[in-house]
Amino acid sequence: MKFWGVRIASILVAILLSFGLEKLGRGTDSFTQQLIVFAGLYVTLAVSLNLINGITGQFSIGHAAFYQVGAYSSAYLGIKFYPQFHGNLFVWLTLMALVGAAMAAVAGLIVGLPSLRLKGDYLAIVTLGFGEIVRIVIQNQKALGESGGLNVAPHTTEQPIMFVALLAVLCIAVCRNLLKTAHGLPFLAVREDEVASSAMGVNVTATKVIAFALGSAFAGAAGAIYANSLGFINPDLFNSTLSISVLSMVVLGGTGSITGSALAAMILFYIPEKMRDLKDVRLALIIGGLLAVGLAVSAIRYVIFNVHKSAAIRAAMHVGIIIGSVVIAEIVAFALGKIPALAGTVEGAKLRLVVSAVVLIVLMLVRPQGVFAHHEFSWSWVQKLMGKKAPSTEVAA
Amino acid sequence: MAAVDLSTLPQQLVTGLLIGAIYALVALGYTMVYGVLKLINFAHGEVFMLGAYVTLFISWSLGYTPGNVLAGGSWGALALMFVGSMVACGLIGALIERLAYRPMRSQPRISSLITAIGVSLLLQYGGQIFLLDGRPQNVDPKVSPAQGNFSIPLKPANSQLLAAAKALEANMAATKDAYEKAAEGKDKFNLPDDVKKLRSTSQDAERSYNDAVGKAENSSVSIILPKGQVIMLGTTLLLMAGLTYLVLYTKRGRAMRAVSQDFDAASLMGISVNSIVTFTFILGSSLAGAGAMMAATFQSGTKIDTFFGVLPGLKAFVAAVFGGIGNIPGAVLGGLLMGISENLVVWAGYPGYKDAIAFVILIAVLMFRPGGLLGSNKVEKV
Repeated sequence: MKFWGVRIASILVAILLSFGLEKLGRGTDSFTQQLIVFAGLYVTLAVSLNLINGITGQFSIGHAAFYQVGAYSSAYLGIKFYPQFHGNLFVWLTLMALVGAAMAAVAGLIVGLPSLRLKGDYLAIVTLGFGEIVRIVIQNQKALGESGGLNVAPHTTEQPIMFVALLAVLCIAVCRNLLKTAHGLPFLAVREDEVASSAMGVNVTATKVIAFALGSAFAGAAGAIYANSLGFINPDLFNSTLSISVLSMVVLGGTGSITGSALAAMILFYIPEKMRDLKDVRLALIIGGLLAVGLAVSAIRYVIFNVHKSAAIRAAMHVGIIIGSVVIAEIVAFALGKIPALAGTVEGAKLRLVVSAVVLIVLMLVRPQGVFAHHEFSWSWVQKLMGKKAPSTEVAA
Repeated sequence: MAAVDLSTLPQQLVTGLLIGAIYALVALGYTMVYGVLKLINFAHGEVFMLGAYVTLFISWSLGYTPGNVLAGGSWGALALMFVGSMVACGLIGALIERLAYRPMRSQPRISSLITAIGVSLLLQYGGQIFLLDGRPQNVDPKVSPAQGNFSIPLKPANSQLLAAAKALEANMAATKDAYEKAAEGKDKFNLPDDVKKLRSTSQDAERSYNDAVGKAENSSVSIILPKGQVIMLGTTLLLMAGLTYLVLYTKRGRAMRAVSQDFDAASLMGISVNSIVTFTFILGSSLAGAGAMMAATFQSGTKIDTFFGVLPGLKAFVAAVFGGIGNIPGAVLGGLLMGISENLVVWAGYPGYKDAIAFVILIAVLMFRPGGLLGSNKVEKV
C-alpha cells in the first residue's frame, strides 16, 4: 500500500510541477517559452541517450537520427491529417508523440541489430553513419520536402511547455525505475561485462535491443514535439553536431547518472543560448581563456595523480587552481590585447560549439566518469548531507 | 528515374579512381593510428582540413591571392605547398597526440574516443574564429602548371555511321549549290516559291548531315584524365610504396609493427613506445597533409572551410575499414574503391545519395566481413 501511495503522490507532484512550470512560462515572451520547451526536449534527449550510452554501455553518437525520425513522422502526418482532425491540441500532440516514438523505436531496432556484433568505437561510427544515412535519405524524399524542409501543420502558437515537461519527467521516471528495479540490472550487467552477464543468464541481445529501442523511442517522441513547437523542420537541423552536443551532455553529467544527464542538458543548453547574446568577445580573451584552461587542466591532473592529502585540502587546491587560472586568463588577455593583431573581436554565437568541445576534452582529462559519475540525486543523499545517516537504497552503482 | 549510359562507365570508373586517391591517403593515416593505438582518430579529418588551409595560405603568400592574376603555375610553388602542408600537418598531428591522446592512454578506449571527438569539434569551430577572413577560400587552380587533360581514345567512331555521314555530305553540298545558284541576284527576303523550296531542301539536308556527324562522334568513346588528378594518383601510389617500404623494411617500421602487436612487450624489448606513437602520428598526419594539398589544388573550384575535412575524413575511415584496418595496401585499395563506388552512385542517377554510400558500405563490411577486404578475418572481442 505504501508503495502505491508514494507512487501516486509522486505522479501528482510531477503533474503539479509541470502545470506550475506552464503557468510560470506563460508569463514570459514567446522566445523564452520556446527556450523552456527546447530545454525540456534536450533533457529528454540526454536522459534517453544516457540509457543507451551510460546505462547499457553501447556507445552511440547518432541520437539525432531518432530525433529526426520522430520529427519527420509527426510533421508528415500533421500536414496530411491535421486539417481533418477536430480535437484538442493536447490529444494531437500525444498521438504524434506516440507515433514518433513508435517510428523511432523501429529505427532504434534497426540500429540495435548491427550493434549486436559491434563494440566500442566501431559501434560509435556505425551509429554516426546511420544518422547520416537517415538524414541523406530524408533529404532525397520529395514527400518530405527534400533539403528545403517542411512547414509543420499544427504550429503550436502556444508552446506546449507542460507537455514537454511531462515527457521529460516520464523519460526520467522510466529510466530511474528501470535502474531501481530488477528489470534494470541486465542493462548494468551488459555494460560491465557482456560475457560474464550472458554466463549469468542475462539475454545480452535482448537487453541491447531494448535499450536502443527504448532510448530512441523517447528521442522520437521529443522529435515529434520539436517539429510542432518549431513549426518548420529541415534535415540540417538534425546533423551530427546535434548528436555530439547531446553526447557531451551525457558525458558531462556522468555516463550512467540520470540526474547528471538532466542537469548537464539544461546547463549545456542554457550556456550556448546565452552566448548568442554576447556580441563581441575579445580575441585576446579567447586565447587567454584557452591557455588558462590548459594550465588548469594540467595542474588539476597533477593534484589528482600526485597529491595524497585529505579530501578537504585537495578540494581547496582545486578551487585555488580554478581561481588562479581565471586570474591568469584575465592577465594574459590583458597583455595580448596590447598586440594590435589580436585586438579584434568575435561574435559570441561562434563560440557556442567551442564550449562543447572544450567541455568534452577537459572532462575526459580531469574526470572521465563525468561530474556525477554514477551517483544519483536521492533523499538519502540529502539526509546524509544534513548529517543524518540513512541506509542506502541504491540497487547498483 | 535513372538513365544508365553504359558508354560513360569507363570514364566514371577512372574519375572515381582519381578521386579515390585522396581517400586512400587519408585512410593511410587512420589505419596506421588504429593499428598502433586502437583509436579512431576522429581529429584526422580536421588535420586534413588544416592541411588544406596551410596550402591555401602558402599559395596566398606566393601571390596567388583571389583577384590577383599571375601568368601561370610553377612547379616550385606546388612543391612548396606540398612540403609545407605535410610538415605542418605532421606537427599538428604530433601535438594533438601529445596534448589530448597521450594522457588518455591508461583510460578506457571510449574516453579516448570522446576526447578525439572533442578535439575534432574544437578544431572545426575554433578554426572558424581564426581561419576565416572573408576572402573566398579556394586555392587558385592556376598554381599548377599541369593544366588540361589527357585523353585516351577507347573506341573509334562507328565506321557505318561515318560512311552515312559522308554520303549525306555530298547530298548537302549539291542541294546547297542548287539553292545558291537559283537565289543568285534575287532579294533574299522575297524569294519566289520554287527557290524557297530549294532553300528548305538544302536546310533539311544540312540538318540531317549534322545529325549524322553528331551520331558518329558520339559513337566514339574516350576517357578524359585531368592532368592534375593523374599527378594526384601517381603521388599517392608513390607515397604508399614509400610507406610500405618504411613499415616493412626499416628498423623503425619494425618497431611500429611491434608496438601495434603488443604495447608492453614492445617496451620490454627496448622500443620507446611513446616516440613510436608520435612518429606514427607524424607520418599519418603528414600523409593527410599531402592529400589535403592535392585535394585543394588539383580539383579546381574546391571551396575550403573548417568542415572541409569532415566528410573526406569519415569516408576515408570507412575506406580504411573496408580495406582492412591496420593494413596499408588495404587502406589504399579501400580508398580507391570508395572513390569508384561514390562515382558509380552518381553515374547510376542518384547524386543525392553520394555521401550515404560510404556508410552503407561501412555497415555492410562490418556485418559481413568485419576484418575488411585484405585484413585478417577475426571477429573482435571486446
